[in-house]
Amino acid sequence: MKDNTTTLHKPVKILDGIVMLIICIVICVALYVLGITKTFSNNTMRYMFKIFLYITMGTMWNLMSGFTGMTSLGQQVFIGIAGYSVAVMTSTYKMSMWMGLLVGAVIGVVFALILSFVLFRMRGMYFAVATWLIAEAVRLWFNSWPFVKQGAGMTVAVKQIPKVRELYIYALTLMIIALIVVYALLRTKTGLGLTAMRDDADASSSVGVNIFKSKLLCYLICSVFIALCGGLFALQKGSVLPSSSFGIDWTVAMVFIVILGGVGTMAGPILGGIIYVILSEFLAHFPGWSNIILGAIAILVIIFLPDGIIGTLQKKLNFEIFSQKRLSAPKKSLKQKADMAA
Amino acid sequence: MSEPMLKVEGVQAKYGDFIAVADASLEVPEGMIVSLIGSNGAGKSTLMDTIAGLHKPSQGKIYFKGEDITGLSADKIVVRGLSLVPQGSRCFIRMTVEDNLIMGSFPKVVRKKCKDSLERVYELFPVLKQKRNDLSGSLSGGQRQMVAIGRALMTNPELILFDEISLGLAPTTIKDIYARIKEINKSGTTVVLVEQDTQRAIKTAKLVDVMLKGKVVLSGKPEELSDEDIKKAYFGI
Amino acid sequence: MQVIQVIINGILLGGIYALLGVGMTMMFGIVKLTNLAHGEFIIIGAYLSTVLANAIGVDPILTIIVTVPIMFLVGMGLQSGLINRVMKIGSEPALLVTFGLSIILADAMLLIFSADAQRANVPYNTASLRIAQGLNISVLDLIVFCISLATIIVLSIFLKKTYLGRSIRATSDDTQAASLMGVNVNRTYAIAMGIAMATAAIAGMCVSMKWVYYPSSGGNYLLTAFGVVVIGGMGSIPGTLIAGLILGLAQVIGGANYGQLIAYVLMVLFLAVRPQGLFSK
Repeated sequence: MKDNTTTLHKPVKILDGIVMLIICIVICVALYVLGITKTFSNNTMRYMFKIFLYITMGTMWNLMSGFTGMTSLGQQVFIGIAGYSVAVMTSTYKMSMWMGLLVGAVIGVVFALILSFVLFRMRGMYFAVATWLIAEAVRLWFNSWPFVKQGAGMTVAVKQIPKVRELYIYALTLMIIALIVVYALLRTKTGLGLTAMRDDADASSSVGVNIFKSKLLCYLICSVFIALCGGLFALQKGSVLPSSSFGIDWTVAMVFIVILGGVGTMAGPILGGIIYVILSEFLAHFPGWSNIILGAIAILVIIFLPDGIIGTLQKKLNFEIFSQKRLSAPKKSLKQKADMAA
Repeated sequence: MSEPMLKVEGVQAKYGDFIAVADASLEVPEGMIVSLIGSNGAGKSTLMDTIAGLHKPSQGKIYFKGEDITGLSADKIVVRGLSLVPQGSRCFIRMTVEDNLIMGSFPKVVRKKCKDSLERVYELFPVLKQKRNDLSGSLSGGQRQMVAIGRALMTNPELILFDEISLGLAPTTIKDIYARIKEINKSGTTVVLVEQDTQRAIKTAKLVDVMLKGKVVLSGKPEELSDEDIKKAYFGI
Repeated sequence: MQVIQVIINGILLGGIYALLGVGMTMMFGIVKLTNLAHGEFIIIGAYLSTVLANAIGVDPILTIIVTVPIMFLVGMGLQSGLINRVMKIGSEPALLVTFGLSIILADAMLLIFSADAQRANVPYNTASLRIAQGLNISVLDLIVFCISLATIIVLSIFLKKTYLGRSIRATSDDTQAASLMGVNVNRTYAIAMGIAMATAAIAGMCVSMKWVYYPSSGGNYLLTAFGVVVIGGMGSIPGTLIAGLILGLAQVIGGANYGQLIAYVLMVLFLAVRPQGLFSK
């Protein structure tokens, strides 16, 4: 088969290099300043807090599914584990929230490491459903584990409840680190190897990257950041419950954010996260309809915009925001992949 | 002169951006055995898939018995009496030999004839009758080809296309299968043979077409074509 | 005696587990689709059956005369109207669309039926047959087991002996070769989904008699169904029965607290060690 990607025009990379760096720094500094100087109201900061964390989670889910082809339906397990870590450390052991977050992240990584032995033997939908099974199994276990008060849930007991402004700063910092880590990772040889693997599982070995190690690295990074998100959410909410901390809604959100924004694009989850939070706040006025509408939107996007908003725009206007591709050929879209397979 | 059974006019077929068949035209008169030869990658198999409806042509027209069948799907074409024995037999490996054959009479128009056709196939290939209850996945390559041929015959075709039927088979098996193909032709079915084995194809056929780089570059009766002509067309020198 | 009782209970439970999984295994083996909405289909079957039985005042078992054809048609429509389309884009989008469907259906049922627990009441709810001292068989469990077994047997005969059944198996082996035999692959997929939905209707009816269920119960049944698919080997109907029995026994041995947990862990281990299942080559 001839290589048909070479015939495509080279996309114009915008927001790349120095200009991008300056714009990003300006935005980040502005967000910090607006938060610290209390220019934002508490309500706005509560919104922003959610947006930052959902962008982080979306970016992480995208790293796994969009860039490395590991579609997980069970990342909520890390939200739950970290949330419970915060609750247990603060209320059972009377330690600080920082200890709770740290323990949550460490347990998250260790758990991910153990799971990887099982999960990395699987591919595609086996992987997807196995991750879901594991999350459900952990939820059932927490539901009947006396140490975490079974199904009754626990409260987060910190001496000084963090102010909205502090949470805002933590979430913003976490998001910035997450974006930098993912961006940097994708521009390394490891990242390029992973992208190659997603596009063509057989050709990946020729890139000369140890796929197992690279996938593991991605998986561990995802679990740490999602665990930290879970810890912050628990701090903000003040309590944890098996049914909500390990709920499938977290995965629904991550999938929605990435599909809407654009699978396999850096900017996709950022846009998707913003839209998701605004939309879900709006849909809160219609109790019970939220997931129905989000689900319907996601299905329509998959059918009519399989590349998501950013992916479609990039293709139509032939540009790339935050191009993570230093060397690799243009990414094949889902449609092209399907054509190739047919 | 009567209407040819199959007429292919300027067909182009692509996989993505890759053009597998550039501009192919050929005619198959009724009752004939026509051989289509060409080197690996000349586009023979894609052309066969396109005629049978497995692949949509991007340009050109295909007429069968004078009717336009361009772009029809495979399941609509087979009921009109055009059947393809695909490359590599493609048996239903988790089904028994008999179930494979019965699948051939899936089109409603031929279901009534299922029993008779089954007898005919078993007469043609007695070994299949012995192995009727075996899974076709357990058969040898030659026997799988017989199942694939039998299955195609069950659809009661007027035109049957064989795509590289001899690929990977033992010489004695090939000889046997070719003898059966001649029998099938004698009973009134028009045959198109796609082959890489030029000698055998020329010996069997009444008409030869040569394909090169996605085009039919030479066609004529075998006795009128010199070895030199065929070689030139085959290798494109 | 207690051991025998546990084994009997496990086998009876295994029957309905196999029924939960048979629709999913068909979709998996034939359409190559992981239908994450199968659990919700089962719960829809349960609600349809309960609502209908209460409305006309008949035994829930009789409701399948109505629910099976309805679910069959809905399944066909869903496959030909939506999923066939998405499958052309790719297998991952198709997986995510069924995930979206499952979320939509679960919340739609929550809106319609509220979060209250439901259960179909039948007079033989608590009846049991005494086989020997300390050995009892629940009549309900036995009925559910027989319905499950009958459904699976009818389905295998249909697949083995009819033209339509053969065409479904042929499509699962090789779609292109099947289309060369005159099979319309999209239509076959729609029929397969229709059948999967029909089995979900029957499974839902059994669930509604045997257990308490909620709009959100779909996830549990999906995972059980998936376990049956994984352990049995995709597309294998005898495998489905054996897998159902294994899961049923695991659940009964684990008891109320840890049965489900043990079943899930067993599935994950199976996925890791033998993802092609017991009965797949």
